[in-house]
Amino acid sequence: MEIFDNSKDYGFSSTSFEMVRKDTNVKIKDAKFESKPTTFAKDAFRRFCKNKSSVAGAVIIAILLAASFLYPAISPYDVSPTSTYLTQALLPPKLNKSGTGFWDGTKNYKHIVYDQINECPADFIAHAVTKINVGDIEYTNIASKYGRNGYIALYNDKVLAPGASDDSLNGFFLNYTDFKVTSSGNYVAKLGLGTKEGQFEEAEMTDYRVRLQYKDSDSSTKYLELADWSSNYTDQTYDLSSALITAGISEIEKAKVRVEIKAKETKTFLLIRSAEIVCADATENENLAGIGFTDANKAAMVTRNEDGSYDKNYWQSNVFRHVYNVEMKYCDFTYDAYDAVFGSNEMVIGQSIMNEYKAKGWCEYDFAVGPSSFVKLSEECPVDSVEEQHYDIKNSVYQLDTHTTYYKYLGLKKAPTYLLGTDAKGHDLVTKALKSLRTSLLVATIATVVSLAIGLVWGAIAGYFGGTTDIVMERFTEIISGVPWIVMMTLVILLLGNSIVTFAIALCMTDWIGPAATTRTQFYRFKGREYVLASRTLGASDWRLIFQHILPNGLGTIVTSVVLMIPGCIFSEASISYLGLGLKGVNSFGVLLSENQAYLNSFPALIIFPAIIISLLMISFNLFGNGLRDALNPSLKGGE
Amino acid sequence: MTKYVIKRLILAFVTAFIILSLTFILMKLLPFTKPIGNAEVQYSYYMSQVHLGFVLDLPREATGYGERLFRYVDSTGLVHNFYQTPVMVQYVSWLRNIFTKWEWGTSTYIMPNVSAIIIIGHRLPTSMYINILSVVWSVPLGIGLGIFAALKKNTMVDHVISTLVMVFISVPSFVLITFVIWIFAYRLNWLPTQWAQVTDPTLTKFLSYIIPVFVLSFGSICGYTRFTRAELCEVMESEYLLLARTKGLTKRQAILRHALRNAMVPIVPSILAEFIGILGGSMILETLYSIPGIGGLFVEALNAKDYNVLFVDMALFTTISLVAGVILDLSYGFIDPRIRMGARK
Repeated sequence: MEIFDNSKDYGFSSTSFEMVRKDTNVKIKDAKFESKPTTFAKDAFRRFCKNKSSVAGAVIIAILLAASFLYPAISPYDVSPTSTYLTQALLPPKLNKSGTGFWDGTKNYKHIVYDQINECPADFIAHAVTKINVGDIEYTNIASKYGRNGYIALYNDKVLAPGASDDSLNGFFLNYTDFKVTSSGNYVAKLGLGTKEGQFEEAEMTDYRVRLQYKDSDSSTKYLELADWSSNYTDQTYDLSSALITAGISEIEKAKVRVEIKAKETKTFLLIRSAEIVCADATENENLAGIGFTDANKAAMVTRNEDGSYDKNYWQSNVFRHVYNVEMKYCDFTYDAYDAVFGSNEMVIGQSIMNEYKAKGWCEYDFAVGPSSFVKLSEECPVDSVEEQHYDIKNSVYQLDTHTTYYKYLGLKKAPTYLLGTDAKGHDLVTKALKSLRTSLLVATIATVVSLAIGLVWGAIAGYFGGTTDIVMERFTEIISGVPWIVMMTLVILLLGNSIVTFAIALCMTDWIGPAATTRTQFYRFKGREYVLASRTLGASDWRLIFQHILPNGLGTIVTSVVLMIPGCIFSEASISYLGLGLKGVNSFGVLLSENQAYLNSFPALIIFPAIIISLLMISFNLFGNGLRDALNPSLKGGE
Repeated sequence: MTKYVIKRLILAFVTAFIILSLTFILMKLLPFTKPIGNAEVQYSYYMSQVHLGFVLDLPREATGYGERLFRYVDSTGLVHNFYQTPVMVQYVSWLRNIFTKWEWGTSTYIMPNVSAIIIIGHRLPTSMYINILSVVWSVPLGIGLGIFAALKKNTMVDHVISTLVMVFISVPSFVLITFVIWIFAYRLNWLPTQWAQVTDPTLTKFLSYIIPVFVLSFGSICGYTRFTRAELCEVMESEYLLLARTKGLTKRQAILRHALRNAMVPIVPSILAEFIGILGGSMILETLYSIPGIGGLFVEALNAKDYNVLFVDMALFTTISLVAGVILDLSYGFIDPRIRMGARK
């Protein structure tokens, strides 16, 4: 009903009225609000801040996020997946200066084979070894580069039947390279034998005999008896020349000494410590020196040459040959791996590099004079000393054997210190882990946002409309989620190739199911509530009911589940790579973990640090998510 | 309700059918993996595939079937050229084989020429034993801890339990498994470093159950504790429990008769679903601890590109998760009549 009809003239217009309070004498007693009016977001934020653990979670996430973006940017170390620095692979963590004993890039080694000739642990660089403690001699039955002495055990596993004749085959024989024997040269064969027992438990020491074997003029094999069957295990000397005289032979061009061992009813063996042939003539003696042995360990290691010929002191036998009681030394020591890699080490450098250093005025060197002309002028010069020059065919110098400080050679001002060491590719672990974290977080966030967008709409429609719509949509969801995510991911990676983008697509294909299911449940939960009914009674549209009434109520739970999807994505990627099925050759967290998996026992820091980061991330996201849910949906506070 | 149950079951079957069909076709689109073994073994494999309708046996080279898989001249001098049949033809053959012969395919690598169903049969018991042990021990423990934490809400005990649960639920399972194996098997040397072989003594066999059962139950113990605590806390604050107390019930009676029963409503279905999950195997655990179960088989088959075994294994996983889903949905309705799944708006 219109009060005023503007077309009529009442003598006054509607604007000439003024609203006034009638009861001016009455005081308004309403107090002003003490608190400021607040918005939903402000209120949620206030409630979130009340929850200390969630704030802690958020702070940790923020720190990790900031570190993953900033640290790789300022870090001087290259960690690109295509580069490898094998010289500095697997360095231990270093924070303090060397020698401080804690976190100083040193590693303690225990029971490492000791190289008795170079007087340092075998295969370690001597100047980096400190606090060495060499143990007593230990015995082993395995021939080793670093072992000494010991016995060669001729071992016969052929067992005679009871009562069989001993002389049927007379055991086996052993021979060396041919040598020349003359009746006038005072040729003597010395055999050192041993009586150590206990090694071949089921075998027993056996009789042996020694014969000189040679070829007759009609090339039939003949023997000269040197000693008959004996079980005397002391050092033996056999006069070869007198044996020749006895047999009436003046000279044998190609002779061999055979040691034969007797087969018995059990397995048998004989221990030989040394075998030598000597003669009166000094030059001849030098030739003979090669064909015997005084160190059984060394003799056992002599093998056939690459061209198929035999070494002079190669031993050939048709019985089993073991070494027995080789003397080994082991040592415990502290090893400064940084000094070993970046310190002054033997290194071959090219002529052009030396010229470069000369041009920079770091050193003086004259190729015509040689190593003695080297003078180090500046501390910046990587080369510390020159040992030898190498010449090419044209007789010009092409490379030098030097002692060079490696970090200076790389052009660094000081030796690098890797906070948590390096991995198998020589990459700094901290930089690599944080860079991988960045990639993984980016992929996870993108996948989560995309999944949320799809899932929210899908779940809202399915949950709100219910009935047939729900059943059809649920079937589709079930089909997608029924294919295990590992298969889905592997199929996508197989079909689309191995890259981060592919992985993000694969994640999106399965991950939207989660938010969709949560949204659907929330809609089922709230759509029957009275307030929805009330709103519907007032004529609210489906659109309004979904987005204004039901969704805000369910948002807390949905957001919580979505927040957990971010570490979930990192987790899926890590798991699939850990199993060896996922990405390869990119800097992502899963790849990092799976690459370092093999070093768990030897270099635990390589796997512990990434594991801590990923666990920390998961815990923080969980705490953060819980706080967020409580903040967004106060009615659920304290639950779950 | 009966109608709904029947509808759900039929739908689950249809869903399973579609998933398996889809995966079968997807997998057949991947490059064909040739079987290992000498020419005779390969020939017998291809002949069995011809018999099953997946491979064509032609006397001379042909075009239009893609790359030739294998060529063999048998003892009578007949030349065999083997080609893959078109994918859709393979699909039809596959359906026919399953419905008429219950033949799901033959292994190419893991146990060449052995039916995939038999391989699964070999591997299933191990996974089942571990799962049963872990469920039997984790359900009461988890629920017990949850009830305990809820009753002692906001005390030190509750905080400790909740924090531990939070930490252990967050730590990724492969990290947990790796470190448990590393510490207890490699460093301390208390437990075997991998699953016991058939020839190992009984004690080793017994000990090798400890790590898998422990690691598997860890996640579910934490899950049940958290879930039970949350549900019970919510119920404890409800008006009906207050009413129960005001009408004179002791705290014990009120909790046992009212709180616990209501709190169990959402928990029981997940326990039921967990029992169905017994048939499945944990891929990560079984791979890292070399357990010959079906989870490890999955990874093995995937790495070896033994697609037939992979497919059957996957079909098993799919079926398990579908059945578990149906049971979860239905049991909600049975246990709590207020929830009506599938209800319209």
